[in-house]
Amino acid sequence: MKVTISRFDPDTGEPPKFVEYDVSVKKAARVLNVLDAVRDTIDPGFAYRHCCRGGQCGSCAVRVNGEPVLACMQEAREGDVIEPLELPRIRDLVTDIAPVMAQIAWMNSGCDCTQVTQQEIEEIKPLRECIECYSCISSCPAISVSDYKGPTIMRQEQRLNLDPRDKGDRILEAIDKGLFSCTTCHKCVEVCPKEIETPRKAIEKLRAEAAKRGLSLPAHKALAALIEKTGRSVERKEPTFLERVADVIEPEGEVRATVGFFVGCMFNGRVIQPALDAMEVLRKNGIRVIVPKDQICCGSPLIRTGLSGFLPELQKRNIDAFVKAGVDTVLTICAGCGSTLKNDYDTPFRVVDITEYLCELGFKIPEKVEGTYTYHDPCHLLRGQGISEQPRILLDSVAEKFVEMPARCCGAGGGVKSGLPEQAAAIGAIRAEMVKETGADYIVTVCPFCEFHLHQVTGLPVKNIATLMLEGYRKQEK
Amino acid sequence: MGIENTKDCHVLVIGSGGAGIRAAVEAETFGETIIVSKTITGKGGCTVMAEGGFNAVLNEEDSIQTHFEDTMRGGAFLNDELLVQTLASEAPNRIRDLFSWGAVFDLKEDNTIAQRPFGGQRCARTCYAGDHTGHELVMTLLEKLRGSTVEIENEVTVLDLLSDDGKVNGAITCDREGELGVITADAVILATGGAGQVYDTTTNSTAGTGDGYALGYRAGAQLIDMEQVQFHPTGAVTPYDSRGRLITEAVRGEGGFLKNALGERFMTKYDPARMELSTRDVVARAIATEVLEGRGTEHGGVWLDVSHLPREHIEIRLPIMLNQFLQFGVDIRNEPMEVAPTAHHFMGGIKITPEAQTTVSHLYAAGEVTGGVHGGNRLGGNALADTQVFGKRAGIAAGKTERTERRLDMDQIRAAENKLASYYEGTAKSADIRRAMKTTMWNNVGIYRNELDLKVAEREIKKLQNTRLLIASPRELSDAVITENMLLVAQLVIEGALLRRESRGAHTRTDIKQSWTNETSPFGHTFFVKGKSGIEILEDRL
Repeated sequence: MKVTISRFDPDTGEPPKFVEYDVSVKKAARVLNVLDAVRDTIDPGFAYRHCCRGGQCGSCAVRVNGEPVLACMQEAREGDVIEPLELPRIRDLVTDIAPVMAQIAWMNSGCDCTQVTQQEIEEIKPLRECIECYSCISSCPAISVSDYKGPTIMRQEQRLNLDPRDKGDRILEAIDKGLFSCTTCHKCVEVCPKEIETPRKAIEKLRAEAAKRGLSLPAHKALAALIEKTGRSVERKEPTFLERVADVIEPEGEVRATVGFFVGCMFNGRVIQPALDAMEVLRKNGIRVIVPKDQICCGSPLIRTGLSGFLPELQKRNIDAFVKAGVDTVLTICAGCGSTLKNDYDTPFRVVDITEYLCELGFKIPEKVEGTYTYHDPCHLLRGQGISEQPRILLDSVAEKFVEMPARCCGAGGGVKSGLPEQAAAIGAIRAEMVKETGADYIVTVCPFCEFHLHQVTGLPVKNIATLMLEGYRKQEK
Repeated sequence: MGIENTKDCHVLVIGSGGAGIRAAVEAETFGETIIVSKTITGKGGCTVMAEGGFNAVLNEEDSIQTHFEDTMRGGAFLNDELLVQTLASEAPNRIRDLFSWGAVFDLKEDNTIAQRPFGGQRCARTCYAGDHTGHELVMTLLEKLRGSTVEIENEVTVLDLLSDDGKVNGAITCDREGELGVITADAVILATGGAGQVYDTTTNSTAGTGDGYALGYRAGAQLIDMEQVQFHPTGAVTPYDSRGRLITEAVRGEGGFLKNALGERFMTKYDPARMELSTRDVVARAIATEVLEGRGTEHGGVWLDVSHLPREHIEIRLPIMLNQFLQFGVDIRNEPMEVAPTAHHFMGGIKITPEAQTTVSHLYAAGEVTGGVHGGNRLGGNALADTQVFGKRAGIAAGKTERTERRLDMDQIRAAENKLASYYEGTAKSADIRRAMKTTMWNNVGIYRNELDLKVAEREIKKLQNTRLLIASPRELSDAVITENMLLVAQLVIEGALLRRESRGAHTRTDIKQSWTNETSPFGHTFFVKGKSGIEILEDRL
């Protein structure tokens, strides 16, 4: 099997270099077995960590083809490129994890031996399986641009916070370690070998407790107050989407399906045109759209920032609005709203993203539109809803030239853009570099927050996928 | 002396599994403590991989006496009674320590500690955290350790112990880059775990190389019962590189069935009363026999089946097993696992008193590196308890050691340096030597043993020991020393297996007929001390 390994020898003063190795391994060999083969048969000085061989100690995390994995669990494939985690490097695949370990909080147990209950144990368990492999630290977009200490550090703060035996003030400590820096992009969950849901089960929970103690960021408090007052996270500056469209939008031609439409605050009040374009796209695909006018903010900004006191009210009003409209499917065009309705609501109807729905139902192929396009995966679509293929299918059908770009958070989510705008800009700047590398003229995405932010940091035109589709349809009709 | 990197402390702990960390946090209360680990602290050793549980008597249906008896019987009465008494009576308080430090073990609805049945025990005595009990234990200990003043030295390998006038007073170390160092101390605790890695097929982590046996032996400590190597009955069989990976006893504890290739629950033939929950030695031999007699699977294993259990039960109680098998394309909710015995635990090791004192002054030991607690066969759930009970005791005893004046034996250091330098002129690579050793041990010193095979192994290991190891850079130094440690351990296992002319516990001699039972055996411990080995004869039983 041929693999490429990034080697680094600090004694030579030379930068890391990629070396190709051809080793013989057994069927179903893991990446670790390949590393062993390189050490045992080619270079005994090759440095990498390993220990339990069974995914339980977390020693052997490396990046394979860019993504963090446990070498002992990941099946090796021909052509794999193996690199160390994105942490300060010591030698070959060995990184300096000591500074990260030093940030992991320990229990401050009093001597009164407080009893713990079964219920408390069950709540702690999902945060307890961390094997400290630091894959999450390696791939977190917020760490490199801020003082944020990282996902597993927050996981441990909440693990202790939930434990009655711990006497520390974990809220203040978490804030000190960058609690508000997480963009809730969920990359840490994606790479976690134990699938620990740190943003949902630790960060948002810690932020909620911070909120109860009045420790939220001022911008977040203002946003929450606005939502509570107006039902919207965006101030009304012009006639909104909901004010402009009819209650029922009839399609062109035969009615193939009927959906309810959840617009979300950004598309309702700040970037309205893409939402209007989406209505046209649906019309041209034979989809009747019902728009309940009493829908309001989904509550995503409240949940992400922990100021969720008003959330039950929002949830009830939104669910009631769509139930009253009598729809069994609710379509979203905002990745954040879609993810929230899917993951933070218990809805009696199905929630679908527009890209997901068009691909499922079958869509009219548009004419190709000129230009080179790249696609930015919104975190709340990719990881929040597991949707990556469908937007690409749509793009392939309409873009004259489509160039891929690896997924990475743009920095706009999790209340970071409002609360810590400089950090959002810094994460965005990294994303802008990646966009530049693709050579694309346009960025396409399916999230109004990403759309808005990417335009600011790249200066490039950012198109909603619906807008692009509509351009293709219009071109066809000419 | 070319060594510039020196440190000093009151207690030096070598090894960072359950016993090592427990010892360190205890020793710290007496004075400055350093813990060195050749891996990242907490990641090495086998504690973190332990799945099943921690035995402790916690309710009135159970008793310390019953735990004692089960352990003695399970250990083929080769155990040191005082050590077993200590284990049984202190395990309950050690699990309470863990709870007060934040352990997240499973609780019952009434908020008392949940326990499950394990092989060879008359009560449900095994406390657990799902099927990652060892991981939970280590995380709890790490939370305690990180809050302590113990100095943690990661990725530092101990090459040899230092002593002065018969008293151990430090260690020569080697870091990741191959730089030598010396750590001096008033007392040293060995908590280096077992040596499953001397076998081809093992559950052990790659750190399970038995360095402590070799360090202790070279420093003059007595070892006992090194032939007693537990083969866990249920290790993975496929794919090749995963062979030996532990399938926790909890699978059987939760109600799993063992079946041969004909679909028969063969344990009816070997232990109809205890069936799958018989002791590990019995189950391992039963599986080996089924395979030897042609009733095994095509890969040389048998089936372990939980598919008759409710799916949810499997998901909640055995999540790690479920996920690991899914990774290899087997859904244990629907299909059986293919299993075969795998080298697991060394019951033998450094001889200790109940105070964890070895036969050498100022040298203490705890956990798998010691012998005598588990006799000829360890019960599932007793190893984690062992680490905590004797880890604490070693920490206390070492902590109470008198402070001594530091005198470095320069001859010893120079000898070590010279020896290390000679590796650059060797001829054989560590990896090749290890592979040959593992194969020899697996083929000739496995579950079923006889003198002929053992003699072959003895010659082969001797040959490997006489081959000079070659290194190209200082970074390979520790690997070379570890390889030599492993060969020494292999040699002692073989010596013990030849000395013990009986079948007892995990040690089965097919070439010897015996007229006695475990309780009436005329033999006591095998013993090994530099230049001398033998087996205790119990005169009154002859």
